[in-house]
Amino acid sequence: MIRFHDLSKSYPSYGGRHHVLDRSNAVFEAGVNYALMGHNGAGKSTVMRMVSGADLPTSGWVERQGMVSWPLGFSGGFNSTMTGRENVLFVARTYGQNTAEVLEAAADFAEIGKSMEMPVSTYSTGMKQRLAFGLSLAISFDTYLIDEVTSVGDARFKRKCDEALLGRLATSRVIMISHSETTIRKYCQAGMLLWDRNLYEYDDIEELIKDYKTVCR
Amino acid sequence: MISARRPIVINAHVIWALMLRESRMAFGTSHWGYLWAVLQPAVTLSFLIIIFVLIGRGAPFGESLGLFFATSLLCQEYFNKLSVSLMRSFSSNKSLFAYPPVQTTDTVIARLLLVSSVHVLVGALFYTSLYLTGYGAIPWRPELVILAFVMIGLFGLGIGMINAVIYSFFSSWQHFEKLFGRPLLFMSGTFYVPSMLPPEAISIIKWNPIIHMVEINRMGFYADYHSEILDPLFIGFAIGGVLVVAMFAERFTRKMRK
Repeated sequence: MIRFHDLSKSYPSYGGRHHVLDRSNAVFEAGVNYALMGHNGAGKSTVMRMVSGADLPTSGWVERQGMVSWPLGFSGGFNSTMTGRENVLFVARTYGQNTAEVLEAAADFAEIGKSMEMPVSTYSTGMKQRLAFGLSLAISFDTYLIDEVTSVGDARFKRKCDEALLGRLATSRVIMISHSETTIRKYCQAGMLLWDRNLYEYDDIEELIKDYKTVCR
Repeated sequence: MISARRPIVINAHVIWALMLRESRMAFGTSHWGYLWAVLQPAVTLSFLIIIFVLIGRGAPFGESLGLFFATSLLCQEYFNKLSVSLMRSFSSNKSLFAYPPVQTTDTVIARLLLVSSVHVLVGALFYTSLYLTGYGAIPWRPELVILAFVMIGLFGLGIGMINAVIYSFFSSWQHFEKLFGRPLLFMSGTFYVPSMLPPEAISIIKWNPIIHMVEINRMGFYADYHSEILDPLFIGFAIGGVLVVAMFAERFTRKMRK
């Protein structure tokens, strides 16, 4: 379970402070897959970063039970002068995982073969993304965060990602940001609408999508 | 388990992962950085010895010029390295903070441990080589040598962390940091015995915490080294003071830095 306690978040932007949340007490129940929706610029990614712990609220706090991932497929933490292997080992150690297992699973999934021993600076964008995705899925989190499923690789690889993620969902859950109704219907049973500095909870996906359309169009 | 109210430090996994990661990079992008950590003091030490020999002067204390200079130089090198390397610990690890378990304080602790390990080796290398060539000595009270090292580590941790906080808001701070670091060579008793200076000079240099730690280090190496300026209470306040300021500075600017 992840619970916001009187959580407010705002940050300075052009023309005054931008408020994302104002004293929110939202709860993400354990084991339930959530969709997080809201119009562009409402602060969905900021909310997700606060869920993960990578960003801090302006006031209030986040209660977390279980291990929460960083946004899936995020490759920004890779150091380009280090090899793929070294980068993977770093993250695996950070989470106190069995490094050999994570390394094997991530390399296997990413299908980049001997490039694992090359600096990440030599990788193409696709290789980086595949490795990042493989790394995220190689660690067993209780909650996976997905910020906008971006296209990773070709159709075959996309299918592979899909299967791997669905496999993980047998024991874990997901909180995802997506504009795609198909994706949301496929993965989520519940949702949150970020609107007017608050998170509104839905246990019916169709209602969430309906309200999202009303609010955003 | 990651909780929002995690205590300030203690995250062994993360610190260990950072140390291994940084062991490749903290001393530059290549392994030459480690050689540099040895070469820098070696070059300064050689120059000082050459100059003193050329002008025909002996060691200000004891028999060996090398040992006398090293007992102060190595302290300064350790402190300077901490100050610079901790200063950049937030900025050069910025991308890693996207991984939730990695906290800013972890990067500071990891660098402290790494720099300290390297300087234990550098110290061992220097003092052993001096001893083997007949210019060194086995410390008379090794516990004082260790105490001095620990004190510099703690003081450097505080100063480095304060630097890191200032640097994250004001990147020109790196130039000011150098400005404060440079005079250490003259202010830390490198080529003189502080107690033998005129009282006017002592009244100034005694405000430099590093010189007190150098005095302890020398008392560890020389059986009959007496210090007129050593003030344990001052060291305590200096170390405690910078650590408290550092912790508060880090804690209260955390949200602004994220």
